[in-house]
Amino acid sequence: MPPLGSGAKLPIYGQPAAPDRAPADGRHPWRSLRVLGAGDGPSREFDEGAAEPPAGFSRRTFLQILGASTALASLQACRPARQKIVPYVRPPEKALVPGTPVHYATAVSLGGHATGLLVTSHDGRPIKVEGNPDHPASRGATGSLELAMLLDLYDPRRERGFRRGQAPLAYRSLLRELTALAASHLADGGSRLRFLTAATGSPLLQDLRRRILARFPQARFHAYESLTEDSAREGSRLAFGRVLAVRHTIAQARVILALDSDFLAVGPEALRLAREFAGRREPGPEMSRLYVAEAQHSVTGACADHRLRMKSSEVLGFARAVAARLASRHGHSQLAPMGATPSGSPAPGDVRIAKESAAVADDLARSSGRSVVMAGSRQPPAVHALAHAINAALGNAGKTVEYAAPAFDDTTGPASLQPLARDLAGGKVDTLVVTAHNPVYSAPADVDLGTLLGRAPNTIYLGYRDDETAARCSWVLAAPHPFETWGDARAHDGTVSIVQPLIQPLFESIPEVELLAAFLDLADQGAHRILQDYWRGRAKGPDFERQWEGWLARGVVPDTAIAAEAAAPHFVEIAAAVKAAPQPPAGLEMTFVPDYKLHDGRFAENAWLQELPHPVSKMTWDNAAYVSPATARKIGVEDGARVELRLAGRKVEAAVWIMPGQADDVVSLPLGYGRRRAGPVGSSVGFDAGPLRASDAPWFAHGLAVAPLGGAKHVFALTQEHFSMEGRDLALAFDAKAWSPEKVEHLKGPSPTMQEPVDYQNQQYKWGMAIDLSKCIGCAACATACQAENNIPVVGKEQVLRSREMNWMRVDRYFSGPPEDPQVIAQPVMCQHCEAAPCEYVCPVNATVHSDEGLNEMVYNRCVGTRYCSNNCPYKVRRFNFLNYRGDMSPTEKMAMNPDVTVRTRGVMEKCTYCVQRIERARIETRLEGRAIRDGEFTTACAQACPANAIVFGNLNDPRSQVSKLHQDERRYDLLHDNGTRPRTAYLARVRNPNPELS
Amino acid sequence: MSVETRQMATESALADLLEGPPVLVGSPEDRKLSEDIFRPVWEQTRRGWLALFGITLGLTGLLFSAIAYTFAKGIGAWGNNIPVAWAYDIINFVWWIGIGHAGTLISAILLLFQQKWRTSINRMAEAMTLFAVIQALLFPMIHLGRPWFFFWLFPYPSTLGVWPNFKSPLLWDVFAVSTYFTVSLLFWYVGLLPDLAALRDASKSKAARVAYGIFALGWRGSARAWRHYRIAYLLLAGLATPLVLSVHTIVSFDFAVSQLPGWHTTIFPPYFVAGAIFSGFAMVLTLMIPARKVFRFEHVITQRHLDNMAKVMLATGLMVSYGYLVETFIAWYSGNPFESFVFFNTRARGPYAPIYWLMITCNVVVPQVLWWRKARDNTIFLWFVSILVNVGMWTERFVIIVTSLHRDFLPSSWAMYRPTIVDWSILVGTIGFFGFLFLLFLRFVPAVAASEVKELRRELEHERHQQSHDQAAHGS
Repeated sequence: MPPLGSGAKLPIYGQPAAPDRAPADGRHPWRSLRVLGAGDGPSREFDEGAAEPPAGFSRRTFLQILGASTALASLQACRPARQKIVPYVRPPEKALVPGTPVHYATAVSLGGHATGLLVTSHDGRPIKVEGNPDHPASRGATGSLELAMLLDLYDPRRERGFRRGQAPLAYRSLLRELTALAASHLADGGSRLRFLTAATGSPLLQDLRRRILARFPQARFHAYESLTEDSAREGSRLAFGRVLAVRHTIAQARVILALDSDFLAVGPEALRLAREFAGRREPGPEMSRLYVAEAQHSVTGACADHRLRMKSSEVLGFARAVAARLASRHGHSQLAPMGATPSGSPAPGDVRIAKESAAVADDLARSSGRSVVMAGSRQPPAVHALAHAINAALGNAGKTVEYAAPAFDDTTGPASLQPLARDLAGGKVDTLVVTAHNPVYSAPADVDLGTLLGRAPNTIYLGYRDDETAARCSWVLAAPHPFETWGDARAHDGTVSIVQPLIQPLFESIPEVELLAAFLDLADQGAHRILQDYWRGRAKGPDFERQWEGWLARGVVPDTAIAAEAAAPHFVEIAAAVKAAPQPPAGLEMTFVPDYKLHDGRFAENAWLQELPHPVSKMTWDNAAYVSPATARKIGVEDGARVELRLAGRKVEAAVWIMPGQADDVVSLPLGYGRRRAGPVGSSVGFDAGPLRASDAPWFAHGLAVAPLGGAKHVFALTQEHFSMEGRDLALAFDAKAWSPEKVEHLKGPSPTMQEPVDYQNQQYKWGMAIDLSKCIGCAACATACQAENNIPVVGKEQVLRSREMNWMRVDRYFSGPPEDPQVIAQPVMCQHCEAAPCEYVCPVNATVHSDEGLNEMVYNRCVGTRYCSNNCPYKVRRFNFLNYRGDMSPTEKMAMNPDVTVRTRGVMEKCTYCVQRIERARIETRLEGRAIRDGEFTTACAQACPANAIVFGNLNDPRSQVSKLHQDERRYDLLHDNGTRPRTAYLARVRNPNPELS
Repeated sequence: MSVETRQMATESALADLLEGPPVLVGSPEDRKLSEDIFRPVWEQTRRGWLALFGITLGLTGLLFSAIAYTFAKGIGAWGNNIPVAWAYDIINFVWWIGIGHAGTLISAILLLFQQKWRTSINRMAEAMTLFAVIQALLFPMIHLGRPWFFFWLFPYPSTLGVWPNFKSPLLWDVFAVSTYFTVSLLFWYVGLLPDLAALRDASKSKAARVAYGIFALGWRGSARAWRHYRIAYLLLAGLATPLVLSVHTIVSFDFAVSQLPGWHTTIFPPYFVAGAIFSGFAMVLTLMIPARKVFRFEHVITQRHLDNMAKVMLATGLMVSYGYLVETFIAWYSGNPFESFVFFNTRARGPYAPIYWLMITCNVVVPQVLWWRKARDNTIFLWFVSILVNVGMWTERFVIIVTSLHRDFLPSSWAMYRPTIVDWSILVGTIGFFGFLFLLFLRFVPAVAASEVKELRRELEHERHQQSHDQAAHGS
């Protein structure tokens, strides 16, 4: 902690949001770079620990501060124009009320595609991420990854400052050296200058690249993403002759065929598609039907009405069978050349595929124009092209699927990395600027980027953390968090968002914009000015400043979506490519899947995500080599057995987990684990699939050999170990045919009791919740949102193994049916706020009591920790602080805490509060305005995040509220109704819509 | 030999057969009784005692270290989790409280029923009760998440204006157990007064005289003192009698009042009381058999006492078995799927099934050998049976608490419980602490109530005298 006298500043909100480091400000005029470097302005080192409160405060320091602040105040006048960030919707004057949170719109990008966010800022500290309802990729929803990015912001272990080798660099010297380095490449047009970047749709970054290429015509940009979408890109090139982005709209789709596409949980459209999908899952004639053909058990597969289990390599054959059936039976003759009727062999697999493909094709054809075929980015281009052809033939193009120019046009996969690797190996690179996410870890196994980086004299890594790539680069520059910097980003449909910073950088860092600008001699302008200059040139109309503020406030730049265009597929070329695709060989297949939690490994140091249970397997702090029960028997392994996976001469060690529903003869290993240099949180967690992943087979590969290693079993920490409902009425699911309201009649209504129930009808508010299991996709975004909102600690793998995880919200997952191919249901469970709560009467000290409005409240400071309430809770939703899970928080971690929610100490019970702090805030605000809280005015954190709108919260005493209507729904039932607990949370039974031809 | 004498001999043999061995062997003089009973107090410290004392002192140290560690770290030092939020803490609590039932039953209820065989064993049984309740009292305090606020469990006019929740069985527990401890302590201490005075009078060193003098509270043995003493003793016996039944009834409410399948059972109160007496007598036997041997108390604590206690064990063991049977029957008969699952699946076939079957073996099967007189007569055999019953009663509490909790309503929250080294240290530590206190008791206080045995001798002589008079009258 720095003493107060050292010039440290607290990050106070309302101050200029960007660093005041711009060297060209009024204070320090400079004429040349040498003068700039020798300048005696305030050194950047002084900002070290700027986030920490001051320590000592003596009379001497007081006088020092007095002097310094007077000096600073007089210098304010000489500064450049204040950088103004604009809050969402609310007027700025309200933003200044202390203790009142303000929401700012911004955006974050994953894989180059932006998701618009609203970030709640409390007295200048961003404490919660929500979706921006105005943003096309979010529509108000968020995924776990976006939610958990907040924790990264406050991570005290993130990279700070700049260093060259081991020598630290001040910001000024860094700029000087970068500018000098850039100048040294001018002579040969940058022929020895290379950039390795992440995929980006940012118009500003793309513009900077163009300008750098104009200055250094021989330089090259290479984009690399571990989770590349190259095959989708190549598929569209194959089908249409040019690269087009595919946009799906499934709000009207009645039949959806997902070819290994995890569209509900992964990808730039996931949040929007989840909402559109959920919108058509209520029983009735308009209910949609989802077929998913996949190998590993995905979130989307778990939602499917028919999950067609097959190897990843068999998906093409299946799609061809569908095409053949469409051609032969439904008159889509243009599909005939690419179709292939399944061989008439009596093998059970072939018979099954023949039956399933026929049923799927018939169903698709019946809903021509209202069906859609989606190909997943893990599938080869031929499958994508075939999907385009089928969609075109069925008349879906332009309705459920649209095509448009992509937001970015880079190859981002191994194909982009290989030329760079060749140049590096040939010693043709002097300077390599790496802004990609940890490419040394995620590069394909056949590109030894770690060694190759050593061949270039200057490797400059702009990274957020001290990771595997930082260890190999000669310069390491700390990157700011997306919430700390200015920029812009494009959504999948092209809509631009301006990224505005929410907080001064906590640690010294340089944004990518400024790093690239250094190669244009512009770094001294600062990201804000560069960004504004770029957009000033593109604004329509005269008053740029007002437009700019409007863009910041709404989080989107209007009319920037890229218009859809008609595209006709070239059936002949597609047929040729499809036929050229190799037949899948028999034997074990290795598949690599993106991880729901760590993405490509970049979130390995995010403890929220590490501890988030995997949506399907409920695994925390690990990944596993998932195999089907039959394959496990064949290999002779059990859960936790260590195996060696050998593929094309490479091998890795992993531990097996038997996953019901996994395709036979497939081993799937999620990417992003087994990091070697990821701090105490991420290092050596799980197993690295990378060494098996080659450039020619980034997603699945044949010829896998599995050798059991014996030895002690690996211990997996699962939050749910029992996946059978034991025949109990817990998470109810019915087939649409079998569904009738009588099925749940005995699970609702008042249960007979001797005790007179408390009447809450006369209260103004009677808070309640409804959870629609038909809509819930089980993605667990609600659990992460709850963790962020309610200051829930992470406990670590050892404590999860002891069954002491703290998540107030869990998503239970039950399997039913045969273990090879089970049906799956997800059920979010949190405190049910029973009106007759069993936890309350057993507490000896009255620490858990009922509010007037019927909330089951937990009084932390009264709790002595007998844990009796948990024993008596039939839902087991109470969580106990067995240890001091908060420990000693670093000053930055403290900043992440929601000030409206108590941070609990050890020995205290806690549980879901229905976000009582949000209720009270809404109450205060509406009381000031002299009115009642309106339905939908606020909602709980889980309901807010839910992409599927499966969770609805509101006032049950308002008959017009959405939650009241859902409580009257015929599918409504109460969990453990017979216990007479009268829960306030109601569930709506899931209804599935299976194809009668396949049952 | 006359017909009369033969007849008398036959009658006494018949009485022997019917009543078993005498409650006092022979008719020793008061002086001899005092010598025998006070010998352990006055004699040189035995090596065996020192060795055991060292071991139990070490275990006591282990207990308090484990408690200190728990206070420093939090309940996370134990294996408890969600759903098994109670485990060894409450198992040990209920186990020790149960053990602490025999003493009061022997002293108070048998006193009221004027059972002669209680006299020589009541002191030891009461001491055992007291020390067992001390072990039990540790747990409600140390199992709290925030033990420094334990006083919030007591109803006192707090400045917070908050009272405890009188609906909670845990609060009833606090009252029941603290009352029981107070009454047991008083009862034991009042009974000890004449003997303490006798020790004071017989002591050879000044220090001993002063020490025993202080604790004897100025007892002179006057008729007036004896009269007050008798009244107080009887009143305390009357007070303690309902407590024997109420304490474990209330402890059972901790479970019966909740709605957890396997806990929510109306038979719990009687079944817990029977179990408590069962385990209490087992513990008395476990301690008394070796003590009797070592201190050569065989003529005071006779085979008759052991036999009677074995019979009580058999009777209460059968009640406990009946409890198991009824619980299981009701689980089936009620048609409640959750409850049936606990009894027919979780307990009998679940992951903790070995512990369940160990419980059935120790509590249901093993006590049946006590139907045979030979088994009751064999002290070593009886000692092993008593140990097995103690083990069985511990596993019973494990089955009730852990097994019911670890698989309840929602299978998603099912989880296993694994005790940690701290859990084991506390269990072993309480056994050590209990032994430590008991050894101190054996060393410094007469383990058999000398005054009462002397009284008994006179009563017996009086009876015999009366009998011979009757027979003489009958004969003539």
